[in-house]
Amino acid sequence: MPLPPSIYHLSSSHLRLDGRRWNELRRLTAQISTQASADGSSYLEMGNTKVLCTVTGPSEGKGGGRRGDEDSMSVDVRVNVAGFAGMDRKRVGRGDRRITELQNTISSAFSSTLFTHLYPHSTISLQIHILSLDGSLLAASLNAATLALIDAGVPMRDYLVACTAGLTPPSGRGDGDDMDPLLDLNGSEETEVPFLTVGTGGAGGGDVGGGGGWV
Amino acid sequence: MPPTIPPLLSPSELSYLHTSLSLTPPIRPDARSPTSFRPLVAETDLLPAANGSARLCFADGTEAIVGVKGEVEKTTNTTTTGGRSGGKGGGKGGGIDVIDMDVDEVEEVGSGGEGRWIEVSVDMPGQRDDDAMVVFLGEMIHEGLVADQFLQNRLVINNRWHWRLYIDILLLSPPLTYPLPLLSLTTHLALLSTHLPAPVQGLEKDDDPLFNDDWDAAVPLYPPSTPTNPPNPTSNTNSNKKPTTARPPITLLVISIGSNIFFDPSHAELAVADSVVAVTIASSSSSSSNEAEDLSLLAVRTIDPPSRLSSSSSTTDADAGREEEEGVWKAKKGGVRRDVLGRMIGMCTERGGVGAEVLSGLEGFT
Repeated sequence: MPLPPSIYHLSSSHLRLDGRRWNELRRLTAQISTQASADGSSYLEMGNTKVLCTVTGPSEGKGGGRRGDEDSMSVDVRVNVAGFAGMDRKRVGRGDRRITELQNTISSAFSSTLFTHLYPHSTISLQIHILSLDGSLLAASLNAATLALIDAGVPMRDYLVACTAGLTPPSGRGDGDDMDPLLDLNGSEETEVPFLTVGTGGAGGGDVGGGGGWV
Repeated sequence: MPPTIPPLLSPSELSYLHTSLSLTPPIRPDARSPTSFRPLVAETDLLPAANGSARLCFADGTEAIVGVKGEVEKTTNTTTTGGRSGGKGGGKGGGIDVIDMDVDEVEEVGSGGEGRWIEVSVDMPGQRDDDAMVVFLGEMIHEGLVADQFLQNRLVINNRWHWRLYIDILLLSPPLTYPLPLLSLTTHLALLSTHLPAPVQGLEKDDDPLFNDDWDAAVPLYPPSTPTNPPNPTSNTNSNKKPTTARPPITLLVISIGSNIFFDPSHAELAVADSVVAVTIASSSSSSSNEAEDLSLLAVRTIDPPSRLSSSSSTTDADAGREEEEGVWKAKKGGVRRDVLGRMIGMCTERGGVGAEVLSGLEGFT
């Protein structure tokens, strides 16, 4: 159900549908060391998006150098969207293309942030469980993965943190000056406005790309 | 059976463990009594988008999350006997023989629910969805849930509509030990915390259902027991005549070493177990309501003990008649003795026994 664009036409006093201003984040809660049997684990809530991440390794890769990258550690990311994550019960298959893209994005982001050259011939695997899905999936996954890697004590250049930003549609009157940015979109906003997830590695690392997420 | 990690214990360590565990009274490595459990961490109602959810962490670090979601679905065949497919629902466990279950036929036509309205799926890291063990675990939990007709009958809304229950079980940690007890306890907690929207009163039997959108008015799937006042048939407002003590089943892992029986075995104790048995028990909903504490036995499964996988087991027939060496323990061959198995089941199901204690302990979480 598309909402009229005027809803997003913000002035200084206008609020979003969930009562936030344009620059306000949802409630953010995080824990580390949530699971005793994992090398590193974390649990992150951004509003109603709840993500659990466990880290295994660095360990010797299963294929024994099958990846061909012998000089540095490979980052293996598995994203698993639980069947009860959305509003309707839906199983997301392992071969889903959006999931594969998400895995590749997270993997490439951490390949450049972690000191992979310290662990040749090895693999670190990140298992990301999406327990509840309400927008900002990529940002929540990256933040949870950073926390789990901190818990695991894997050396990295800087903490990789991410946030989602969207842009309200133009009202049609002006020349685009009335388009307003929105920070940390929730699920219903993600279906309405174009958005981008930006991950940053702080001062040392610089920007680490991003991409549109779960549309 | 799951790919259990072979115990990394030396022959003398195994011998020491086995000797101290077969003493009377036995000495467990962590000085617990044979029936005491290690502490576990649990929370319920943690997912906003699910009807019920629970997270459980065992002391060995294994962790599981279960989410229960309900969907309203049209009942297709209202005239056929509902309970016919009760025991073997799901249809996904092809080839798995459901044993030692007695599923009673539903006597009332149309009022009984069907087992396939409950869908259990198990997700384990590193395992395919159609992996034999994953399907088998899901089917074992499913058959326990549908064994007494309580849950199916709760799902009936009216003659034309029913709830379909999706139980998604997510094992978050690698399966260090046999995962069925963890999964069944987590499922138990999730089902206890499950609430379904309350139907709007005053509708005809065949109307499309309308639900109260106030979440506070939602009815629990398993009605809470009332420990303050003894079971009182007149206060039972449910339309069906079941007592309010019906509870989802739980599975306990029990091991025997010599003639000693241990609950909640640790990894080291599993390594020297003579026999490993998974006992599934449930509050019997069919008993009269003043015997609320009676537990019924749903299933007993023997599990190949991990000691058989280790090198210390004597597998060749040549070793069969040989005397045991001093200080070296070898895994016992053969099955469980009848009296040991009987005592195991007795300890699980007796009034005030371990099973009742676990059930009441789990109820404290919700």
